[in-house]
Amino acid sequence: MTEPLYRESLPPGCPPDEAREIASSAAVFRLVRTHPPTADDFRSQRAEKPFQKFHGVSECHARGLSVFSRREDSQRALKLPALRGRSICRVQLESGAGSIQQTGRRSHHTWWPLAEFDILSRCTVEAA
Amino acid sequence: MKTIVHHSTLFYYDGPHVFEARDAIGGHYIAVMVGFEHPGAVANAVRGQGERCLVAGVAPDRLRLFRSGAIDLRSLLLESVPDEHYLATVDLAIDQLLRLEPLTTPLADCGFLPDPGFLLHDRPAEDHVLREARERNNFVIELVTEPPEAASRHRIRVNTLAGILNRVQALVKYAYRAVIGTDCHRQDDDILDVVVPASAGSFQVILEASNLPDLLGDNDLGRALPRVDLLFESTANADATLAVVKENRGHLAGAYLKLLRFLAQSGTGLRYSWAEPAFERPVTRSVSQVDAGRLVEVLSTVDRLASEKVTVEGTFERFNRGSGSWDLLTEEGRRTGKIASGGPSLDGLKVGGRYRFHCEEEIEEIDITGRESRTLYLNRHESV
Repeated sequence: MTEPLYRESLPPGCPPDEAREIASSAAVFRLVRTHPPTADDFRSQRAEKPFQKFHGVSECHARGLSVFSRREDSQRALKLPALRGRSICRVQLESGAGSIQQTGRRSHHTWWPLAEFDILSRCTVEAA
Repeated sequence: MKTIVHHSTLFYYDGPHVFEARDAIGGHYIAVMVGFEHPGAVANAVRGQGERCLVAGVAPDRLRLFRSGAIDLRSLLLESVPDEHYLATVDLAIDQLLRLEPLTTPLADCGFLPDPGFLLHDRPAEDHVLREARERNNFVIELVTEPPEAASRHRIRVNTLAGILNRVQALVKYAYRAVIGTDCHRQDDDILDVVVPASAGSFQVILEASNLPDLLGDNDLGRALPRVDLLFESTANADATLAVVKENRGHLAGAYLKLLRFLAQSGTGLRYSWAEPAFERPVTRSVSQVDAGRLVEVLSTVDRLASEKVTVEGTFERFNRGSGSWDLLTEEGRRTGKIASGGPSLDGLKVGGRYRFHCEEEIEEIDITGRESRTLYLNRHESV
């Protein structure tokens, strides 16, 4: 069986065993800088900060995307100064979207999209 | 110039956005990421330019209120210690020393304050265990026990308390190893700290994870506890519990059996509740003294329930024919063991030669408090 090809190159053992492969339809919310969103809105923190050392966060999680499963939590995040002004994008996940793991607080999840999953066509910007 | 260091992350989204920090003398600070100084944030990051954060000195009790979800971030900042408002730049890593530059404009006018209403939790915790987890921003577990000595007065014998604490800690350690696949710490390290020694009512102890959560806010002990919960799922049903324990053969099953045996011998049951800050409610499980005794009888009949197969490789150092004990110097240090009943002879092995020993590891308690000693029993060996 061939290994799935993820959108960003991942270290061995990533996604972790605790992550689940997305097999059914579900909506998640991501904060995007531009409207309409572009591929840059779906870059991991490793891609955005290639020189950063992420102590306390595995390289695997640094190469995933933060998303919320609850819209209220993404709305609340917009109150923070560094996220203020972003838009909430609803991304419709379905089989083939990659793997996802609940991490951290509230409904925060880390998502590792598969390379073939066309995020932008499944992304709808919603009014905050 | 004053410096602070990251202590724990309170809100994470593509990196820490709100975190606690401490200065050199233990002063408490709250830090909020505010973005890059110049436009073109991504380009800045790629060039290695640091992202800035607003930092304010805060009173520990106000910080606890924020952690618990009772006050919002803006209020925490606006009511922070006067003249303790700064900007800091996170260059390469958030856990490096952050140098604080005094904020040159009043906090209320700086443009870096969060909007009103940023709370860490939707609603305040009604349960005291969850409240403790949130206020401490960490994994906590509460143990409640009612030994005979607590029947008439609020007291517990030292050995009873030490015995329960050590055995519960061992159970969590082995659950961690079963779930994560590696030891969480050195075998003799503590992974839990007593933080609330006794509350009125029955005899209650609250323990907190010795380690802080990671940057995402997760503590690995929270991944281990669901395995412990399985063992306590149906303690009144010995057959169901036996099936679960058999699926967890090895040191986890052994630690569970030792805890039950201790409870039965001490004449007490045990109830525990655990929570992480993000929980809506704690998870609670219990076992009565009667059920603990019944389970000990059933589990004790299972052959080799608590032993684990272990392979060690290293340089053969010593063999004592009288006692049957041997030493093998491995990369992790010297391992000492015995020859299992019916095990192989060590005659012919060369001191200084390299061998692989296939053993069964058993853990024995060496005193009433539950301190442990591990013994390897050699079943088979081969040269490498």
